[in-house]
Amino acid sequence: MISRREFLRRSMLYALTLAGGNVLAACNSTPPPNPPAPAADAAPTAGAAPTEAPAAPPPPADTPAVAATQSSAPAAATAVAAPPDATGGVYLAVARGQAPGPAELARRAIAAVGGIERFVKKGADVIVKPNICNAYNGPEYASTTNPEVVAAIVALCLGAGAKRVRVMDFPFGGAAKDAYKKSGIAEAVEAAGGQMELMNTLKYRAMDIPNAQALKKTEIYGDILTADVIINVPIAKHHSMATLTLGLKNLMGTVKDRGALHASGLPQSIVDLATVVKPQLTVIDATRILVANGPTGGNLNDVKQMDTIIASADVVAADAYAATLFGLTAADVAHIKLASERGLGTMDLDSIKIEEINA
Amino acid sequence: MTQQTQSPKTGRGFAQIFADKMKASTLRRLRPWMQAGVFILFLVGLVGAGRIAFLPADLFFRLDPLAGLAGMLAARRVIPTLLVGGLIALALAVAAGRVWCGWLCPLGTVLDWTPAHKPKAKEADLHPRWRQIKYFLLGLILVAALLGNLSPIVLDPITLLYRTIATAIWPALVALISGLEQALIRLPVPGLLDAVVTVDNFLRSAILPMYQPVYGLSGLTVLLFVAVLALNTVRARFWCRYLCPLGALLGLVSKVSWLRRATNDRCIACGRCARACPTGTIDAARAFASDPSECLMCLECAPACAQEAQEFHGHLTPAAWQPYDPSRRQFLAAAGAAVAVVGLSAVTPPAERPQPFLLRPPGATDPDFLSQCVRCGVCVKVCPTSALQPSLTAAGWPGIWTPVLVPRIGYCDFSCNACGQACPTGAIPRLTLEEKRQTVIGHAYVDRNRCLPWASKRSCITCEEMCPRPEKAIQLEEVEVVRPDGETLTLKRPYVVQERCIGCGICENHCPLGGQAAIRVYTPTDLGVGQALQ
Repeated sequence: MISRREFLRRSMLYALTLAGGNVLAACNSTPPPNPPAPAADAAPTAGAAPTEAPAAPPPPADTPAVAATQSSAPAAATAVAAPPDATGGVYLAVARGQAPGPAELARRAIAAVGGIERFVKKGADVIVKPNICNAYNGPEYASTTNPEVVAAIVALCLGAGAKRVRVMDFPFGGAAKDAYKKSGIAEAVEAAGGQMELMNTLKYRAMDIPNAQALKKTEIYGDILTADVIINVPIAKHHSMATLTLGLKNLMGTVKDRGALHASGLPQSIVDLATVVKPQLTVIDATRILVANGPTGGNLNDVKQMDTIIASADVVAADAYAATLFGLTAADVAHIKLASERGLGTMDLDSIKIEEINA
Repeated sequence: MTQQTQSPKTGRGFAQIFADKMKASTLRRLRPWMQAGVFILFLVGLVGAGRIAFLPADLFFRLDPLAGLAGMLAARRVIPTLLVGGLIALALAVAAGRVWCGWLCPLGTVLDWTPAHKPKAKEADLHPRWRQIKYFLLGLILVAALLGNLSPIVLDPITLLYRTIATAIWPALVALISGLEQALIRLPVPGLLDAVVTVDNFLRSAILPMYQPVYGLSGLTVLLFVAVLALNTVRARFWCRYLCPLGALLGLVSKVSWLRRATNDRCIACGRCARACPTGTIDAARAFASDPSECLMCLECAPACAQEAQEFHGHLTPAAWQPYDPSRRQFLAAAGAAVAVVGLSAVTPPAERPQPFLLRPPGATDPDFLSQCVRCGVCVKVCPTSALQPSLTAAGWPGIWTPVLVPRIGYCDFSCNACGQACPTGAIPRLTLEEKRQTVIGHAYVDRNRCLPWASKRSCITCEEMCPRPEKAIQLEEVEVVRPDGETLTLKRPYVVQERCIGCGICENHCPLGGQAAIRVYTPTDLGVGQALQ
């Protein structure tokens, strides 16, 4: 038993902790932990290259627009300037073929755009963001990214000397832990030496999105904003409102309240989000694609085997290419078109150097 | 065995050996440890329900012969787990009286830990007739159950405690822990966020739920519980002495219990044992003998006696019937009350027509469900999304504390069938995941007066996106509309294909509209809608 005095003393301490925390939080709300100012600088600058030359896409040797201006924005998850010529000027790579398997296709596509070393430096803290949709369907239903592709990327990052490689997503159906398991990604990633991270609600940070058209503020997973490298690994699938869910749409998994994105106009919101969450590399898994009843899936008749992996530092270009797998063009997908118009990348596939690897 | 042959009629010799080895006053010191251990087991089972494979979520309900008996009577079938567990508990009472109450019952343990009334010298006890209330409640519960009505089972002590901890105390604790974490991470201490997140991740993977559980009825649940605790200040273990229907059942069986307390001629009528007794059954008027129906075998009296005038040994003859023990008249009164409960249960609107939003756990349908559910709250606890809520009025007052599915609070996870696996009585069928995915809980309907594309010409397909059915029970129809600014827009408007919808409610849960959703799940009704469409 503790004495009454002791009890009161401890109660006061606890109350003070709570009160102090709240006061501090109130103070913090004006300058949020992640100051939007640098991001505000970065967004227009990043957009500058393509908007200045809308008709003429960036020359192959140039770094993609997305990866242009990052040193000034340490807090925002922005790309590290890529070495301009390791790629041989390849802006986007597509690897396809049944024989090598998805992991090998991913490795070849990444090699073609400059190799993992272009993106992951020694000691880098890497987050791989697949699409893990729900806890109902395994990878054969094409609602989640192929586990072999995710694992191959994790292994590549570790091979390049990454300090740690975390894999995370925020599934909307069922518990995240169950979805990680059901997708086969947890097992594959752990075998490859990566860590599955459950996205803890404590880590989200409220932030204003500068120059937003629809999504003016949102809460984003803090580590997505601070990691050295984000590798975006979506699966290509059907979505009734977004038309397709690919690289840009996959970024929605980094925010807490996705309903708000729907309510404030989905295409513009996706693009607003893409101005602050900027993956250095996007690898689109089109091993199997879901052509209808997405994004949840569950019917093998809606799944189409494509054995294709697309890689690019430019998420817009990667999405634009992936749209063609569905018999569409980027112009058919509102958010890809908007992203291109707002200078987040290019959707003009004729203007970029594409390497096609047929295995 | 040799000792037993010395006095075969009473079996006293065997008890003597036992008594020599284990003096009652020594044994008594074990009781708080036993109680704490069992209480911790209860908590572990509750918090870990659905997570700990070797510990059945309904363990304590299996060992609750009242819930078991009433459940089987009302359901009109033998439920093996309840039968076996109940018989074990009754056998314990035959062997040693109400040890269940004194040593094991988690509610009794909580009452022992609650500040209690301490009898003053010469203070008169409450009239013994108060003890009849519990028999009345027992009769009420059992006769109502016999008539197919389980409403009064809400007074079962195990359901009372489980429900209170599962839907009020534990969620409150979870909220406090989350609040503390939120407060801590705002402190300007470097590295604190990571430390708190590490601890939080560990806690969530080990014991805490992923999401904050919320329950509409937690206030009322706590009030009832606090009332039971508060009565301790009137008399120690007021609940166990006067009210507990499970105690009444075990008490009746204890009339023939083998091990009992008895006094011998060394008694000098000092009255110390009577003052030590938490149930007040040691009565000066009976020469300080106790009634085995009221004695909890707690042995608190053992050290009080300086004369060695108390003995705990075996008896083979039934104990004396006391004036306050149930009479035929009282039984008839309880039966009458049970009939009244059954009658009144029919006087509630859901008896005439189901409430439009009454959704039961997957596979359960009224009215059968009402006569099988013992209101224990295990399903509510294991539901990972808080979709299952104890109901207040959704099922009419006879259905108070029965589980209902409230999609706006939580949806029925397409990859979960935990409720049916945990239900102690089978009121919620034990469906495989595949079966559950086909089981109709309700049907969703779009409210076109509020739905964004229908009512406001704004794009939204969230409900369709969320629908977990492989072929999508929610379909979209494309229409060209002219927006107020003159812009022409191609909209996708949702509608529900009823024969595909199982009413899991994820659409209603995620509908971005504030307040009520623009798509709602209704009680399933068979209007031949399916045939009409086919």
